[in-house]
Amino acid sequence: MKKLILALFISLAFLLSFTPNIFAEEGVTDTEIHLGQWGPQTGPAAAWGNVARGTGGYFQWINENGGIHGRKIVYHMFDDGYNPAKTKAGVKELQEGTGIFAWACGVGTSPGLAVRDYLAEKNIPWVGPAAGSMHWITPPQKNLFAVYPLYIAEAKALVKYAIEKMGKKRIAIAYLNDEYGKNGLRGAISELKAHGMEAVAQVPMEAKDSDLKPHVMQLRKSKADMVLMWTTVGHSARIVGISKAMQFAPQFMSTSTTSDFPFMMHITKGLWEGVITGTFGELPDSGYPLLEKYKKEVFDKYAAKEERWGMFYYAGIIFTEPMIEGLKNCGRNLTRERFIAEMEKIKGFKGIGPEVSYKPFDKNDIYSRQGTSQTFLVQCMAEGKAKKLTDWMDIK
Amino acid sequence: MDMKRDYYEDVQLFTSKVISFWFILLIAFLYLFPLFVDNYYIYVANYIAINIIVVTGLNLLVGYTGQISLGHAGFFAIGAYGTVTLMAKAGFPFLLALPCSALIAAGFGFLLGLPALRLEGPYLAIATLGFGLTITQIIGRMEIFGGREGLHTPDITIFSYVIDTDKEFYFLLISLTIVLLFCMRNLIKTRVGRAFIAIRDADIAAQTTGVNILYYKTLAFAISAFYAGIAGGLYAFVLNFIEPEIFTLMMSIMFLAMVVVGGLGSIMGSITGAILLCWLDLKLRNILDIPYIGDWLETLSQSWFSITGVSNIQFIVFGSIMILIMLFEPLGLYGVWIRTKKYWRTWPF
Amino acid sequence: MIDFIQMIVSGIAVGSSYALMGLAMVIIYKTSEVPNFAQGEMALITSFFAMMMLTTFNMPVYIAFFLAFVFAVALGCFLEFAILRRAKEPNVLGMIVITIGIEMVLLGFVSWKFGADQKVMPFPIGPYDSFIIGDIFIGKLELLTLVTALLLMIILFLFFKYSKIGLAVKATQQNSVAAKIVGIRTNRILMMTWGISSLVGAVAGLLISPVMMHPYMMWDPMLKGFAAAVMGGMTSLPGAVVAAYMLGIIEHLFGGYISIEFKSVVAFVIIVAVLCIKPSGLFARHYVKKV
Repeated sequence: MKKLILALFISLAFLLSFTPNIFAEEGVTDTEIHLGQWGPQTGPAAAWGNVARGTGGYFQWINENGGIHGRKIVYHMFDDGYNPAKTKAGVKELQEGTGIFAWACGVGTSPGLAVRDYLAEKNIPWVGPAAGSMHWITPPQKNLFAVYPLYIAEAKALVKYAIEKMGKKRIAIAYLNDEYGKNGLRGAISELKAHGMEAVAQVPMEAKDSDLKPHVMQLRKSKADMVLMWTTVGHSARIVGISKAMQFAPQFMSTSTTSDFPFMMHITKGLWEGVITGTFGELPDSGYPLLEKYKKEVFDKYAAKEERWGMFYYAGIIFTEPMIEGLKNCGRNLTRERFIAEMEKIKGFKGIGPEVSYKPFDKNDIYSRQGTSQTFLVQCMAEGKAKKLTDWMDIK
Repeated sequence: MDMKRDYYEDVQLFTSKVISFWFILLIAFLYLFPLFVDNYYIYVANYIAINIIVVTGLNLLVGYTGQISLGHAGFFAIGAYGTVTLMAKAGFPFLLALPCSALIAAGFGFLLGLPALRLEGPYLAIATLGFGLTITQIIGRMEIFGGREGLHTPDITIFSYVIDTDKEFYFLLISLTIVLLFCMRNLIKTRVGRAFIAIRDADIAAQTTGVNILYYKTLAFAISAFYAGIAGGLYAFVLNFIEPEIFTLMMSIMFLAMVVVGGLGSIMGSITGAILLCWLDLKLRNILDIPYIGDWLETLSQSWFSITGVSNIQFIVFGSIMILIMLFEPLGLYGVWIRTKKYWRTWPF
Repeated sequence: MIDFIQMIVSGIAVGSSYALMGLAMVIIYKTSEVPNFAQGEMALITSFFAMMMLTTFNMPVYIAFFLAFVFAVALGCFLEFAILRRAKEPNVLGMIVITIGIEMVLLGFVSWKFGADQKVMPFPIGPYDSFIIGDIFIGKLELLTLVTALLLMIILFLFFKYSKIGLAVKATQQNSVAAKIVGIRTNRILMMTWGISSLVGAVAGLLISPVMMHPYMMWDPMLKGFAAAVMGGMTSLPGAVVAAYMLGIIEHLFGGYISIEFKSVVAFVIIVAVLCIKPSGLFARHYVKKV
């Protein structure tokens, strides 16, 4: 019994070994603004880690160019390994220890959901979660501004294009069996129903499935002429490859997370040609002036040498641009209330992503906090070049 | 080591007045500590307390009864989902939903114990592993559990007092933890506990002396599943959101590692093992912030390794600590404690 | 009907990679009596090492593979020598935790050095080239894996059954003290089995890597390989291979005809069912317990 007590005592004593911290500040001083982000730098989702690093590069560039009205951005990024318990721990630690003014991006629906209520309670602004799920805006919350176009809307756009412009009649959907994939499935099915059609096959898969032949066999059995893929980068690559081997050649369509054509061509060894995807930003080699500027001034200067210039990296910039715009509009008088008010005034803001507009908070209108409803479709050409199939389209 | 002269001394909880005094001090400390510490540390304490409960339950199965279980994340998930579903869909109050879902988990534990009667070692490991994976898959399919979208946890109301801050939850949690630890300790000291130990050491011999293997093995599984179920139910409220993908194989492996690193067959061992590994888990992500080593690691990463993957160093550190503890002290942290105690007892010789 | 045959063929193809991992795990279990959770990561680090040789140092394919095999054997021997042997009074659980620790360290190393992006392995055979016979297709890579798995199984089986060293391995497993008395250098035997197992794992890793290459690629094959080894009996080499093929075929048939969602789960359910009937696996000799 003595051992029990003494050991408990010692163990808890070293929990107290941390010096108690000063109370949480608002995150703003005369010379600094504290912004935070979580990201999966390790773990199975680590390929999405460059979003957080992209934001880091962007903030460094802003600091080099004078900061925001004389204040430098102090960026706190931590690794949560896609584990919601760690996300919550990190957010709490930074929020109550250092004091964060607002949170940017943040990859992943379940990590985000674990902290959503906590941030809402304290009315801490959070801009641009890097996932297009409905959870951020049903119901809309005063502090949460979504930038990523909704998955449902993107799926609708893709299916609509396939039916109307390409005349496809048999549409099958291969989706990842989680929130992300199911949102895409839902959007596709509702668009099909609007055209009086049904999906000829719906094939779910797990993130850790390494063998996709049964799935492709089912797709082939359904004799689809268009397959909509709403799954991870690796899975999409494999589905296209195995289909080619099985001599099954429908039109493949996929979501914006696979729209990084140079990368997809590299890992599929050229088989990605002809795939149509939606996208949430200008393409890596589109020559868009602001994008080129970011590449030269942010990526070439601040990114690590093995970092890849791809959509995920500058997604970190796309989802943060509205936040920086809002911060700039606040001027020197920076409080959370003022920031939220300025964010609501943003109309038609365009960076390298789609147009962003917000409205004053209305808990029955999702577009008061869903900033974008635009996407455009591109098709992959030889050598990873992209052909724009449509312009920015509005989908509701 | 401490000589006992009769049965009642062995079973006694507080063997002397000094121990009772220290114990009361400890309890006072545990209850007063949230009053002067940041909220973040209370969250960490909650997380650690939950892991202590699971690991104690797993210790009963692995340390005292000698079985293996790689599927405890499954019982954890049953506890979490059971509590939230009973509260949200069936309107049970929290104090009723938690034990009910733990009992459901215990029922599944009993079911898992049945094949365990014939299996040993890696065979049992695979069977439990399969069980853990199956449970998360099935939960993920059923819409009543919110499918893959997860469930948000409702508020806890205890006799119309709403618990919604970490501090209040901490008091509830720590009380439950202390009660459960006492129960476990008392269980070990009774004939049930001795039956478990007998099964671990020589089960055929135990059977010949009258220990009913069927009953006790399944009981061990059921009790450890009960503990995991309670911890799971509480975990749902710490995170405020549950999803099937949280309960991974990695979680089961971590529980097993906590038991073994802490020391098999010792409650104090499982407590320290849980505290150490959880604390490391939460703290190691800031590895670059350590003053000198952090900078050195950064320059090393830039020249030889990739800076993008630098957070993976936490895995290396974690794994190395596990290996080192197991190499130098197979009895785990409890073994380290025994050694220090022996040393001080026989000092200065 | 065609679909049925296609499923069987694909099931055999995928079963081969499970078979290789299963073989590797059985080899270690035969001597050290510890299920090696680090098996997948040992194969992983070797494949990444091969990729590094091929891309950064631009070596020709066969030299790179040869160096990778040498690295694998060295890694296996090193792990046994430096870590497993130092464990004092090892009980099974302690050894399992040590292998889990090794697994985390190796995984951390690979992720740290190479980052988490998908990589491409320049392998002579493309991952999707295939032969088409009638309406059935089988990938060239899969055929190679199948042939390799069967070949390795036969070689290893003959090696362990008929050679002198194989006899020494059996002796070490049954009673290591007695083996030492008759002059068998048990330490070397242990090192050697770890080296061989690491080599087999490396072959599996190299054959999986053309399809996908990222730090978490070996988790699924390792779990399935482990499950297959258990189902076949942890001490029987042909047993692991046969069980792996059975597993692959059942998975594919189930996925094709019944439900693709529960495909991965059914494997484990089948294994538990088999174990309930035959507790030591399908092909193992009946487990003898000492009282």
